[in-house]
Amino acid sequence: MELKSVMNRYGLKQKIFSIAPLFGLIALVVCFLAAATAKDLNIAYSMKNILNQSVVVAVIATGAIFIYTLGSFDISLGASACVSALVGGMVYNATGSVTLMFLTCVGVAVAIALINSVLASVFNLPVFVTTVAMLSVLNAVVLMLININGTGSQIAVPTDAVAGLNTTWFKLLVLVLFFAVCLFVFDFTKIGRLQKFLGGNPVCAKLSGINNKRLAIIAFVMSGIAVGLGSFLSITYAPTLTKNTASSVGMDVIISIVFGGMPVSGGARSRIYAAVVGAFSMTFLNQIMVMFNLNSGIGQMVKAVIFLIVVSLAMSNQRNKEILPR
Amino acid sequence: MERKAVVEIRDMTKNFGITRALDRVDITVYAGEICGLIGENGSGKSTATSIYAGMQSCDNGQMFFKGERWQPSSMMDALEHGVGMIVQENGTVPGITVAENIFLGESARFRKGPLIRRTEMIRKANEILKSIGADHIEASAVTASLDFQDRKLVEIARVMGKKPEVLVVDETTTALSQKGRDIIYDIMDKMKTDGKTVIFISHDLDEIMEVCDRLTVLRDGKIIRTFEKDEFDEEAVKTSMIGRELKGDYYRSDYDGSYGQEVVAELRQANLGDQLKNLSLQLHKGEILGIGGLSHCGMHTLGKVLFGAVKPESGEALVHGKPVRDEAYAMKEKVGYVAKDRDVESLCLDASIRDNISVAGLDQFAVSRFLILPSKEKAYVKQQVDDLSIKCRSAEQYVSALSGGNKQKVAFGKWTGRGSEILILDCPTRGVDIGVKQAMYQLMYRMKKEGKSILLISEEMAELIGMSDRLIVMKDGEIKKEFRREEKLSESDMIRYMI
Repeated sequence: MELKSVMNRYGLKQKIFSIAPLFGLIALVVCFLAAATAKDLNIAYSMKNILNQSVVVAVIATGAIFIYTLGSFDISLGASACVSALVGGMVYNATGSVTLMFLTCVGVAVAIALINSVLASVFNLPVFVTTVAMLSVLNAVVLMLININGTGSQIAVPTDAVAGLNTTWFKLLVLVLFFAVCLFVFDFTKIGRLQKFLGGNPVCAKLSGINNKRLAIIAFVMSGIAVGLGSFLSITYAPTLTKNTASSVGMDVIISIVFGGMPVSGGARSRIYAAVVGAFSMTFLNQIMVMFNLNSGIGQMVKAVIFLIVVSLAMSNQRNKEILPR
Repeated sequence: MERKAVVEIRDMTKNFGITRALDRVDITVYAGEICGLIGENGSGKSTATSIYAGMQSCDNGQMFFKGERWQPSSMMDALEHGVGMIVQENGTVPGITVAENIFLGESARFRKGPLIRRTEMIRKANEILKSIGADHIEASAVTASLDFQDRKLVEIARVMGKKPEVLVVDETTTALSQKGRDIIYDIMDKMKTDGKTVIFISHDLDEIMEVCDRLTVLRDGKIIRTFEKDEFDEEAVKTSMIGRELKGDYYRSDYDGSYGQEVVAELRQANLGDQLKNLSLQLHKGEILGIGGLSHCGMHTLGKVLFGAVKPESGEALVHGKPVRDEAYAMKEKVGYVAKDRDVESLCLDASIRDNISVAGLDQFAVSRFLILPSKEKAYVKQQVDDLSIKCRSAEQYVSALSGGNKQKVAFGKWTGRGSEILILDCPTRGVDIGVKQAMYQLMYRMKKEGKSILLISEEMAELIGMSDRLIVMKDGEIKKEFRREEKLSESDMIRYMI
C-alpha cells in the first residue's frame, strides 16, 4: 500500500502536521546543543537562562490560548502584567507579605481580564476593541502607580524577599502545574470543548445551546490567572519594577502562540501546548542567533523569516484538506 | 444527425487515500442536451464534474472540451474558457456586495485609473441578475443580508454572467424554493435551445427524469448504466443507483395520521416582521407536523423561533407550556434543531465528527456535567456513527471531508444522540440521496412511534405529504391551510395555497 494512502487512512498526515511545531522545537534544541557544544559553552547555565527568559511568556501565553481559541485577541496582556506586578510590589512594600503580593498579582490581573470581557459583553464589541482601549488605560495606570509610589521611576521589592523563589525548580513547578490545570480544563472538561467549538463556528455554537458570553468570561479569567502568575514570576526574577516591566510580553505572547502552531482563527484545531512550544522555540531561536553573533537587525529579520515559514506551513495544512465531494 | 460531443471524460480515476472515488470513468455529453448524473452520496458524481470544472485534478485519465484536450488550472480558468459549475454548498463571500460577488476576481474590468467604477459594476450586475430572472436581488446589497436561496442565485448569476458553453448544476435545486428552481430550469432550457451543454446532478429522481435527456448512473465511482430518455424508469434507475431493489417503505405507508393529545410545543400569536404574522400552531406528542410553502413564507423563521434562536416581536414560543427563553433552554426541554443551512448553522466544518456529535450531548455523558472521560465520549459518538451508518475513516475525521449525506447524518446524530423528544427539522433531506433519505424517513417514523414529536419544515411537497400527520401551508407569514393526512392529498392541493 502506498505511503500516502496509509497516512490518509489513519489520519497520520493530520496528526503529523498538528505536532509539527513540537518537531520544530526539538530541532531547535538539537541545534542549540550542537552549537553550544561546539562553542564550549556552559549548557546548564544556558538552559537556566532560557528557562528564565521563556517561563513568563509561556505561562501567560498558556492562559491566553483560551482567548485565542474563541477567535479573539487580547493586546493588553503585557500592560496588564505590568500593572499587576506594580500593585503586587506596592502591596509587598506595605505589608511585607509575599503571599499577599502573590494574591494581589493574580487578583488584579483577573479583575482587569474581567473588566475586558464584561465590557465586550455589555457593549457587544469585539474583544480586541476593548483590549485596545484597556491597553491605553493600563499604560496610564502604570505611570500613575509609579508617580503615586513617589520613588522616582520604579517600585522596588527587596531582592532578599523573593530570592528564595527565583529558582529554576520553582519556575518549572509553576509552569508545569499551571499547564496541567489548563490542559485539564481545555481537553477534559465541557468548558474547553465548548470554547473550541465556539471558536470554530459561533453561529452553529449558538444553535447548539452554547452561551458565548459565559465562555468568554471564563476564557478571560483563565488568561487573568496566567497574567497574575506571570507578573509574580517577573517580580521574583527582576524585583525592581519600572514602566518597562513585562513591556515586550504582549507581543511575545502573540508570536509564541502562533509560532507554536495555534490557528490564528482559533476553533477546534486549537492546541493548549502551542503556547509552551512557541515560547521555548522563540527563546531557543534567539539564543542560537546570539551564539552565531548575528547582530540584532539581522536577527530580527531571520526571526521574521522563520516565523513566516512556520505560519505558512501550519496554514497550508489547513488549506490543503482533501475534500471528498458527494 | 450525428451528435457533437462537447464534454468527454476518458478513463478517469481519482483516489482519496484508500477511497477510490472514480474508477476508470467515461462520460460523454453532447451539444444541445441536458445530461443527468445520479447516484448515492459518495458515488463520484461531484468528483467527476468538479474535476472537469477545475476544482481539483484527477489521478489518471483524459478530458476533452469540444474535441480539444481540457486541463483547467482552476474553476476560474475553466469558467473563463467556457465551463461553469454551480456547487451545492454556499460559495459567496458574505461581507461584500452582490455585484462584487458576481464579478469576484474581475474588478480590474471596472478600473478607471486607480479607482473602481462601482456604479458601472452594479449596473452590469443588475443586468445579469435580470437576465436570469433574479431581478428581485439588488446588486448593491451586502451579500450577508440575503437568505440562502438568494445567495445561491448570486452564484448562478456569477457563472451565467460568463455565458458558459457547459454548465454543471451540482445538487443546487434542493437549496431552492420552486421559484428558484424555475429560474434554474429556465436557464438550462435556454442553454439546451442554444445548442449548449448542461450536466445536471440531483437526488430528486422525479426532477432529474423530467428535466434530462439522458441519465447516467454512478455507483462506488463507476459508471453503472446510461439511460436514454425513452428508457427512463424510476424503479430501474433506483435499482441501478443502489445496486439492489429499494425494499421497504420510502415514505411511511400508513394513512392513520393519529397522534397524542398532549401539546408539547406551540407558538401563540407570534409576530416577527413579515415572516410571522399573528401565527399560532401546536405540535403534539407523537406527531409529525409538516410545514410547507415558498422559501420566503416564514417557515424557516418559525423553526428558529420555536427553538428559541430568534425572539418574536410579540407572542411567544412555548415548550411543555413554558416560554422558550433561548436555545439552551430548548435543549434542556429535549428540543433539537437541524437547520437548513447545514454548513453554517448545523455543523462546525473545521471540527471532527466527534466534536460535532458530542457538543450537543455533553450533558449526557460528561461526569457531573463537567468532566469529559474520553472512553465515555468515544462510546457515545460511536453509537451515533453506527446507528446512522455514517461513512467515515474515524470519528476524528473532519466533517468538512464528508459527503453531503454523511454531513447531514452527523447533524442528525447531534440531536438523536441526546434523546431529543421534539425535533425541528428544517429541510432535513436536502442534498441527500434516496438511500439515506429512506433511512431518515424511517428514523422519523420510528421516532413518531416512540412518542417523539417532529416539526418537519420542507420545500419538498412529496416529502411533506409522505410523512406528515398534519400539514400546514404557509404564505407571507400566515397559515393559509391545514391538511390532515389522507391518501388522496396531492401536491396540487398544496400549491393552490402556497402561491
